Amino acid sequence: MFSQPQVDVAFSNVIIALAAGTRRAKANAMQAPGLSSLLLLFTLTSFSNAYSADQELFRAAAESNVNQRYTIESVSIAGMRADQAKLPAHLRSRLAALIGSHCDVAALDDLAVDLRKELHLRAVSQRLLKGSGPDRVRVDFEVVRKAIDVSVPRFLFHSRQGVTGEVDASSHVGQSTFTVGAVSNGDNLVERFTGILARYEDTKVGSDKVRFGVSFEDYHEQWNVQTRDAIPADSELSLYRARTNVAPEFTFALARPLTVSFGASFEHMDPENRGEPNRMANAVTGEVRYGHKLEDDALQQSIDARYNFRAGTRGLGSDYSYSRHLVSFRYEIKSGRQTASDELTAGSVAGQSPLFERFVLGSDSTLRGWDRYAIDPVGGNRMVHNSMTYGYQFGERTAEVFYDSGALWNSGRSAQVRHSVGASYRQGIFVLTAAFPIVEGRICPVFMAGMNY
Amino acid sequence: MVWAVTTPAPELKVHLDGDFLRVSALHLNFISGKTLERLKDGVSIAFVGQISVSSEPNSVVSEARSVARFALSYDIWEEKFSVTKIGDRPESRRSSASHLSAQATENWCLDNLTLDRSALPADRPFYVQLDLRAEDPQDQLGIVGEAGISITRLIDLFSRPPKASQLHWNLRNGPYRVADLKKASHG
Repeated sequence: MFSQPQVDVAFSNVIIALAAGTRRAKANAMQAPGLSSLLLLFTLTSFSNAYSADQELFRAAAESNVNQRYTIESVSIAGMRADQAKLPAHLRSRLAALIGSHCDVAALDDLAVDLRKELHLRAVSQRLLKGSGPDRVRVDFEVVRKAIDVSVPRFLFHSRQGVTGEVDASSHVGQSTFTVGAVSNGDNLVERFTGILARYEDTKVGSDKVRFGVSFEDYHEQWNVQTRDAIPADSELSLYRARTNVAPEFTFALARPLTVSFGASFEHMDPENRGEPNRMANAVTGEVRYGHKLEDDALQQSIDARYNFRAGTRGLGSDYSYSRHLVSFRYEIKSGRQTASDELTAGSVAGQSPLFERFVLGSDSTLRGWDRYAIDPVGGNRMVHNSMTYGYQFGERTAEVFYDSGALWNSGRSAQVRHSVGASYRQGIFVLTAAFPIVEGRICPVFMAGMNY
Repeated sequence: MVWAVTTPAPELKVHLDGDFLRVSALHLNFISGKTLERLKDGVSIAFVGQISVSSEPNSVVSEARSVARFALSYDIWEEKFSVTKIGDRPESRRSSASHLSAQATENWCLDNLTLDRSALPADRPFYVQLDLRAEDPQDQLGIVGEAGISITRLIDLFSRPPKASQLHWNLRNGPYRVADLKKASHG
């Protein structure tokens, strides 16, 4: 009897882990926030544990490769010399470091994985070719671009705010990228918004220094009862049950670290009270971004600075006239296993703006540990926040401690500075966080479990 | 006139060699096709082999089994194969052979996939099954990565045709009796 080849799911650790994870998630209904966060993290990390078991076999196989005795004389990607390929600096330096060294197949496997991840490719596989002499080899990384890329890039369970998640599917045709996605977000704005998004992006408009994108969003809103109670009937702040946004934007790469974007946002809102007329929040938008990395053997430093503005104007048919400014500055330094970072954010809104433009603190990255609705159930039009983080790596795991401080207020009123501290445990893309508000009296911590957060 | 050339179907053969049950499989060319192409690109391919013994011809429950893992590579200059048997633990002793042809490499893998004779049913007939599976790292990379659990990769994994997903050979034969195998080995 003979059969070949066939799929054998019983063999696959990955598939076994997937099945086990599903059963566990169904069998253990989440009861307490802290316990449910732990269970969720356990389930999520079981994927990567099973995955690493297979990786051990592949690593052992790579380490016994007979071609390890040869010396690498050149490295190319899709036939192009690595030093001429458009790559992040750290990948280019890793590829350059291979030349002249022994052919470490395990290291080539690792590089292929990193190239695939960072360049968002469908597959990267290395080929060894005979070099110019009998003890020399050439390495070529063959790449396969994704026709359609579907992933779950972001997922967060927050013990007070519930689940936030987003899934996107992208398709690349030449220089163009089409993206559709679904999102339910109860973390970033005053309201929870749930719906779909679509985006078209052309990465080369005449020149590779000019990009054009247009996005479409259609959301249904859910309001917290505290927010509803905080808005008086005669307030300028009005609730809406749905909103639709179309936002075209041009981005210019002025220099390698500096980009400038200009665009517009045409936002249509359906009021909660069906007797009220629909409202428009049309705005001109813009962003200046500066990102720079400094790397040497001992230290890696990165700077990311942004200034973002949105100006609602009646000239565009908007029912709201306002200007919103947001600046952020992030500095990170890495040395060996240690990482330290500081992120400062400040913003202001002037004029009459819709609720989705107002600032919120008490999210996954700001004043972690605080109840956002206790700070201000309708958000504020002034905000300043700072977050300091220290991390220490243990292999693929990272332990972090953080200190957040910030203030959210409305113009003409006094600001109260709040503080929180906490700790996170990261394993690969998964993270578990416990955060504590610094207050007098009873402290109620917040737990978060997430993926790519 | 049409000339049809067919490859003979592989057949599992079983024999006793001292304290071990060994298998051989004529015409089982598992170093071929995509696997051979990838090896000639200089990459390593892992094979996982399993011998199992059951009392029924198509039983899913085995009475005894033995698993071995092999790492194959191809010397791109000498154009010869190399094979290493990988232990269950990193500190386990490894055995290896090099400068082999494809056929010799296949034979070496099967020679090093044995089942302890004491695990065989002494007084009952039994069936022997050989499972062999190729593990190409490219087939499993990317299910979990920095960009999250890739649904594309999962859909890919479940929906791809079997041939592209994972090469797996399965040969069965029997019934055998230990006494008959003893006679054959002495004869």
